[in-house]
Amino acid sequence: MTATEQALPTTTVGSFPKPPYLLEARRKHARKQLGAGELERLERQATEEWIRRQEEIGLDILVDGEMYRGDMVAFFADEMDGFAIPGLVRSYGNRYYPKPAVVGPVGRRRPVTVAWWTFAQSLTSKPVKGMLTGPYTIAEWSFNEHYPTRRELVLDLARAIHDEAVDLERAGARYIQIDEPAIHTRPDEDFELAVEAMDIVTRGLQAYTISHVCYGDVPRIYPAMLRLGVHQLDLALKNEDFALLDTFRSPRFTKDIGLGVIDAHSHRTESPDEVVEGIRRALKVIPLPQIYVSPDCGLKTRTIEETVAKLTSMVEGTRRVRKELSK
Amino acid sequence: MKTTVVGSYPKIPDPPAPGRWRTSVEKLQRGEMTPEDMHRVEDEVTAEALSEMAQAGIDILTDGQIRWEDGQTYFTRGLGGFAINGLQRYFDTNVYYRQPVCEGEVTWRGPISVDDYRFAAGHSPRPVKPVVTGPLTLAVLSRDEFYGNPDQFVMALAAALNKELKALAAAGAVLIQVDEPGLLGQRDRFPLFRRAMDVLWDGVGVRRALYTYFGHVDGLYPAILDLPVDIVGLDFVAGSRNWEVLRRAKFTKELGLGILDARNTKMETDEAVADACRRAAEIVPAAALYVGPSAGLEFLPRHVARRKLEVLAAGVRRAQEDAA
Repeated sequence: MTATEQALPTTTVGSFPKPPYLLEARRKHARKQLGAGELERLERQATEEWIRRQEEIGLDILVDGEMYRGDMVAFFADEMDGFAIPGLVRSYGNRYYPKPAVVGPVGRRRPVTVAWWTFAQSLTSKPVKGMLTGPYTIAEWSFNEHYPTRRELVLDLARAIHDEAVDLERAGARYIQIDEPAIHTRPDEDFELAVEAMDIVTRGLQAYTISHVCYGDVPRIYPAMLRLGVHQLDLALKNEDFALLDTFRSPRFTKDIGLGVIDAHSHRTESPDEVVEGIRRALKVIPLPQIYVSPDCGLKTRTIEETVAKLTSMVEGTRRVRKELSK
Repeated sequence: MKTTVVGSYPKIPDPPAPGRWRTSVEKLQRGEMTPEDMHRVEDEVTAEALSEMAQAGIDILTDGQIRWEDGQTYFTRGLGGFAINGLQRYFDTNVYYRQPVCEGEVTWRGPISVDDYRFAAGHSPRPVKPVVTGPLTLAVLSRDEFYGNPDQFVMALAAALNKELKALAAAGAVLIQVDEPGLLGQRDRFPLFRRAMDVLWDGVGVRRALYTYFGHVDGLYPAILDLPVDIVGLDFVAGSRNWEVLRRAKFTKELGLGILDARNTKMETDEAVADACRRAAEIVPAAALYVGPSAGLEFLPRHVARRKLEVLAAGVRRAQEDAA
């Protein structure tokens, strides 16, 4: 499936840093010093700023930047039935996240992401991706106090996320990303379950579908991961200096790849030459029409300046490779 | 019958209380706080964790591992031969750690955890046991670019950590716990593990505890009873099969009974804890039981961890009253 006319389409994984005024507004809102309406006005303002920045940088497939999300799992838990948030849990370093607990049957009360997607798309003529968190990851990153088995929880979540994807598509989304960063948590025990759940999510969709998987032991789920029911797998390669390319030599990488060429967790800005080098290395293993260029992960832990600098290098490096290839 | 913890305790309080440790790390990273000031914050948070665990009714404490970035970095940063690399998933959890990379000969350059143990022991209302990540687990979670031979790498780590255990003993520790969750994914390497344990504990004159978690010991039992340790700590939540496995041969060690689910907020009851204690008393004498969570408590929000420890202590009291 050809998604764009240009070789090496550039995109990002989903999240961007929130501007200081929005962070402050979220703190005030949490202390009940700021109303929901005012918070949403600022979230819209920040979303529009990120749409403009992405256009200026020259990215091909945009995201809304997730200005209205705290965390990729808690956001869905907050908006769906069956969840409570018992508190903060550490993931690494001084990063904490509000880990939800499943306390009853899970399900969708109403569309979760469609209004924000529609708003973001109304601001640009470039395509904006619909951004969902996958059922396996929502289950794995929640405490399960209710379901007797993880399987029952994952499949109920898959049906709810499928309904959300259908609603995004009806609203006009041509790209839908379903992130599964937790997919290799229990590769032996659970990989088939994750595949089954993704099949439920993407069944019957016409949109171009993507799944972002990050860190963890990717070689361990290769080539099984090629069975995941999406068109593209978006992966972190820069973080491990493209070591994954060795894995993808054999058997051949048969899906499209979102090639992570920018480290999302370092302060250093990669040079355009580094990006060129990364893409060249990938081209030795994966054919050109299958490659999309992307950072390793969501950029929300970087500053706005770092994010813009990194993405500018990414787009510039990609342009240089395109130019080389067209010679 | 004693209550204990396996290792970590949540570093930050529940919102809206300010997470002092967390904001201090941010300040340190921005250069607005000195490492000395950060150390003092860690001292305070450690003392707070010790006091909270004791108040909840725990008899044998750890320092809560407040100063540990993770169980691998904390030790390999202190050893010679290692660099610290990118993030990796920690076993089947949604916790990440920075992967150590072995780039040279593993050496013990001096005490790593001794000052922290001394601080905790000096600020605790109850006895404190130091915890050390074991050689096999460190090897499994690291990347070896130096030895090229996995067995040599493990044995080099065992020899280096032996010096750490001796230093802890010299500092006054009477009970030391070594964590080896990595063993459960390496069951076929038990002969190597056994050799590593012989080297690790050689000449260490303390009561010795070996803890595994995140699974059962089927395939390792009763071989595990031959190891040179006094206490074997097992996870009876993720490894509920351990109940059945331990019936296959007489359990000849003291038992660390990990029965409180450290990875789910679902709250246990006093009665369920008491039941598990009674059931375990059929395996070993009650006096040889150390009842605790299934793993470190940092997988939980602070108030849930604390509440679980209170339930644990109440359940153990109930079992003791029934037995009396």
